[in-house]
Amino acid sequence: MRKILLAASTALLLCSASAEAQERKLVISVYGFAQDAFKTILYDPFEAKCGCKVVVETGNSVERLAKLEANKSAPVIDMAVVATPDALAASRANLIEPIDVSRLSNYDKLYDIAKDPIGGHLSVGYTFYATSIVYRSDKVTINSWNDLFSKELAGRVAFPNVTTNQGPPTLYMIGKAMGQNTPDLKAPIEKVAEHKDDFVTFYVRSSQLTQLMQQEEIWAAPIGRFAWEGFAKMNMPLKWATPKEGQTGGMNVMVLVKGAKNKDLAYQFMDFWLSTEIQTKLAERLIDSPANKEVKLDPKVAENLTYGEETAKSLDLQPADAILDNRESWISQWNAKVGQ
Amino acid sequence: MTSRILSTTILAVVMIFLIGPFFIIVAASLSAGETLAFPPQGFSFKWVLKVFEIESFRSSFVMSMMLAIFGTLAALVIGTPVSYALARYKLPLGEAIRTIVSAPIIVPGIVVGLALLRYLVIPFGFNLTLALFLAHTALVLPYAVRVVSASMANLRSDIEEAAVLLGCSRLGAFIRVVLPNIRGGILAAFILGFVTSFNQVPVSLFLSGPGIRTLPIDMLAYLETTYDPSVAALSALLAFMSIGIVFLAERFLGFSRYV
Amino acid sequence: MFQNRAESLALVLPATLFAAIIFIAPVLILLSEGIRPAGGWSLAPYVSFFTTPLNLTVFIRTLKLGVLVTVAAAIIGYAAALCIVNLSAKGRGRMIGLIVLPLMISPVARTYAWIVILGRTGIVNQALEALELTDGPLRILFSETAIFIGLLQLFLPLMIISLVSALENMPRDAIAAARVLGANWLQVFWKVILPLTKEGLVIGGTLVFTGSLTAYITPAILGGSKVLMLETLLYQRVTIANDFASASVIAMILIIMSFSANLLLKRLATARAKR
Repeated sequence: MRKILLAASTALLLCSASAEAQERKLVISVYGFAQDAFKTILYDPFEAKCGCKVVVETGNSVERLAKLEANKSAPVIDMAVVATPDALAASRANLIEPIDVSRLSNYDKLYDIAKDPIGGHLSVGYTFYATSIVYRSDKVTINSWNDLFSKELAGRVAFPNVTTNQGPPTLYMIGKAMGQNTPDLKAPIEKVAEHKDDFVTFYVRSSQLTQLMQQEEIWAAPIGRFAWEGFAKMNMPLKWATPKEGQTGGMNVMVLVKGAKNKDLAYQFMDFWLSTEIQTKLAERLIDSPANKEVKLDPKVAENLTYGEETAKSLDLQPADAILDNRESWISQWNAKVGQ
Repeated sequence: MTSRILSTTILAVVMIFLIGPFFIIVAASLSAGETLAFPPQGFSFKWVLKVFEIESFRSSFVMSMMLAIFGTLAALVIGTPVSYALARYKLPLGEAIRTIVSAPIIVPGIVVGLALLRYLVIPFGFNLTLALFLAHTALVLPYAVRVVSASMANLRSDIEEAAVLLGCSRLGAFIRVVLPNIRGGILAAFILGFVTSFNQVPVSLFLSGPGIRTLPIDMLAYLETTYDPSVAALSALLAFMSIGIVFLAERFLGFSRYV
Repeated sequence: MFQNRAESLALVLPATLFAAIIFIAPVLILLSEGIRPAGGWSLAPYVSFFTTPLNLTVFIRTLKLGVLVTVAAAIIGYAAALCIVNLSAKGRGRMIGLIVLPLMISPVARTYAWIVILGRTGIVNQALEALELTDGPLRILFSETAIFIGLLQLFLPLMIISLVSALENMPRDAIAAARVLGANWLQVFWKVILPLTKEGLVIGGTLVFTGSLTAYITPAILGGSKVLMLETLLYQRVTIANDFASASVIAMILIIMSFSANLLLKRLATARAKR
C-alpha cells in the first residue's frame, strides 16, 4: 500500500511539474463555437509559428467575464474575445488594458468600424455579424420580427435569453416592430412574457439550436450569423429571414487582459488572427465574417456571411453602452415577467 | 400464474426505463448522420473514431482518471484509519468525527466547488488541479469511511488482540491481521470512490480553467457547442469502461457484498 | 476495545483536520456571506431572496419536484422490489446487477439520452402518436415533466436497492400469514409490508430526495434557463451576476434541506437500534 502511494504521489508531482515546465504558453479565452475549425485554422498554425502552446478556455462571454473578474489579482488569461458590451464592462471593471495598435501589422487592413469599437483602443473588432431569424421555409414565412409571435409558430420558437448577446438585440428589434425606437425594452419584454408558454426554451447557447431544429422541436429562432454554419450543413429547408424592420447584429472584439503574463505572444496572436490569410480561411469555413477588408470572398461564400463594410453599416445595432447600462434592469424585468 | 406475468411485466417496464436510454445512446453514437438522432441515420463508426481525435477529451480524460485514482487513494489513506479507530477505540468524540468526515455527502457539490474557488483558490493562489484533487478527496472520504467501516464491523477484534498478545506490534497486527481481512472492503470503497469521482459534475463546475477540466465538464461544454453524436459515443465508451471495471470486480471479488 | 487516547487521536486526526480545513471551513465562510453581506450582520440577502418572485418559484419548484420524484420512486420502487424478492436467488442477483448498472454510467450520458427520447420526434412521441393517444406531438423537453423523468431515472435505482434489502430482512412468512388471516393485498401492504420496511423506505427516500435537490445536470440539460431549479439558479447567479449573497442563501437552503433529510434518517435508524 505504502509503495503504491509513494508511486502515486510521485506520479502526481511529475504531472504537475511537467505542466508547469512548458516553455511558453499563451492562454486565451474564446467562445465555444467551432473549436475544431479554430484549432486547425488558427491555433495549430500559430503554435507552429511561435513555438509556444495555446491554452484555450471556452464559454459564453458573460461567464468568462465573471471568471476574469474572479481572477483579477492574478490573471490567468492573456487575451480574450468577447462581445462589445462585455468589453466595455471589462474596461469599466479595470480588467483590460489598451492595445498598442502599432504592434498589429494588420491593423490598417481593418474596416473602420472594427478599428476601435469601444474607444480608447481598448478593443479591436475581429468579426461582426448580423442577427436575424433562422426558420423552416417549408413550414412558415417570416417577414417581420413580429412573426415570432404568430399562431403558426406557437410552441416552435427558441428565444434567446436576455442574458445572452442575442437577447437584447432581438428584444430591441421586436420593440421596433411594435413601433418604438428606444433602448427601453419594457414593452417587448412584456410581449415575450405574454407569449412565454409559446416558446420552447430561452436558450443560452445558440449551438444547441441545431439539435432542436433537427428534432423539429423548433421551426424558428433568432440567431447571430456566426451560428448559421451549423444550420447550412443540415439537410433541411432553412432560410435566413430579412425582416422588414431590418436586421440587427453585433461585433466581437479582442481584448488584452490587464497584467497579462504573455503580452508579446498575445500581440502576435491577435495580429495573426487579423491577417488576411486567417480571416479568409475562417470566412471560407463560414465561421466568422471578416473584419479585414482585404479578404476577398467567392459570392457563394459571401452570401452565407455578413460580408463587407456596407453590410455591416446597414445593421441596426444597439450601442454597446446602451446595452451595458441597461442590462441589469432588463434582466430584472425579464426575471420578474418572463422568468417564472 | 397471472401474478408471475404481472411481475415480469413490471420488471420489464422498470428495466426499460432504467437501461433503455443507455441503448439509445449506444445506437445514436453509431449513426452516420450529423446530429444526435434515434433511430440513427445509417451506420458508421465515425463518431466513435472522432472521440479519439478531440484533443480536449484526451486531456480531460487523463485529468479525470488522475483525480479519480489519486483522490480515492488519498481518501482511503486518511479514511481507513478513521474506520479502524471508530471500530476499535473508545473515542471521546466518535460521533462528531463521523459527522465531520461524512459532511461532504450532505453538502451539495456545487456549493463545495464554489466555496473552494472563492476561499482557497482565489485568496491563496491554489492551483486548480490541486483544488480539484482536494475536492475530490473530500468527496470520496465519506464513502471510504463508510464502506471500510462496514467491512471492519464483520471482523472480530479478538484475532487481532490475540496477535498483539502473542507479541505482534499494534501496527504489525493491523498490517498482518486486519488489512488482509478488509482488503475486499477497501477495494470496494476504491471502486465506489473511483466511479463517484469520475462521474462527478457539480463539484468541478466552478473548478475549471483554461486547459483544466474534468471529463464530464468537458462533455457538458462540448454538448453546449456541438450537438453531434460524438458525446454519445464517448458516453457509451465510458459506460462500457465502468461496466467492465465493476464486472471484473464482481467476478473476482464479489464486489456487491460490500456496497 | 482499545483505550489509548493518543493512538486513537493520531488515527482520526488527519482525516478530521482535512475535512475541517479543506471542506467545512470554506463552506462555512460561504454560508456566512449570506448573513454578512457587506461586512455587517444582516438578513437582507435572505429577505431579498425570498421576496423575489422568481426565486420563490424556483424554490417551490425544487421542493415540489423533490417530493414528486421521491413519491414516484417509492411507488415504482415497491412494485419492482416486491417482484425482485420473489425471484430465485440467482435471478435476484442478476436483477440487482442490472439495477446498479445505470449508477455506474455518467449522469451526463444518462441525461443526454432523454433529449433524443423526449423530443418532438423522439420515440415517446412516436409511440404516443402510433397509439393515437395524442393529437400531435407533445412538448416535453424543457419542462418540469422532463426534469421529473430525468431525475426519476437517475435516482430510482437507489430506492429499489434500499427496498429490496428491507424486504429481504422482513420475516418470510409475514405476508403469507396476513393473507391466511383474510387480509387483501392493500391491507397486507399497509398493515404488514409498509411498517416492516419503513426503514428501507426512509433510507431510499432520503437518498432520492437529497439527490433530486442537488442534481445539477438534469435541470441544466432538460430544464434549461426556462425551468430553473435551485442548483441551476445558483450557477446562474454566480456566473451572470457575481451575486454571492444569493448564492450563499441558496447554498444554505440546499444544505438545510439535505441535512434535515439526513437527520431524519439517522433518528429513525437509531430509534430502531434502541428497540
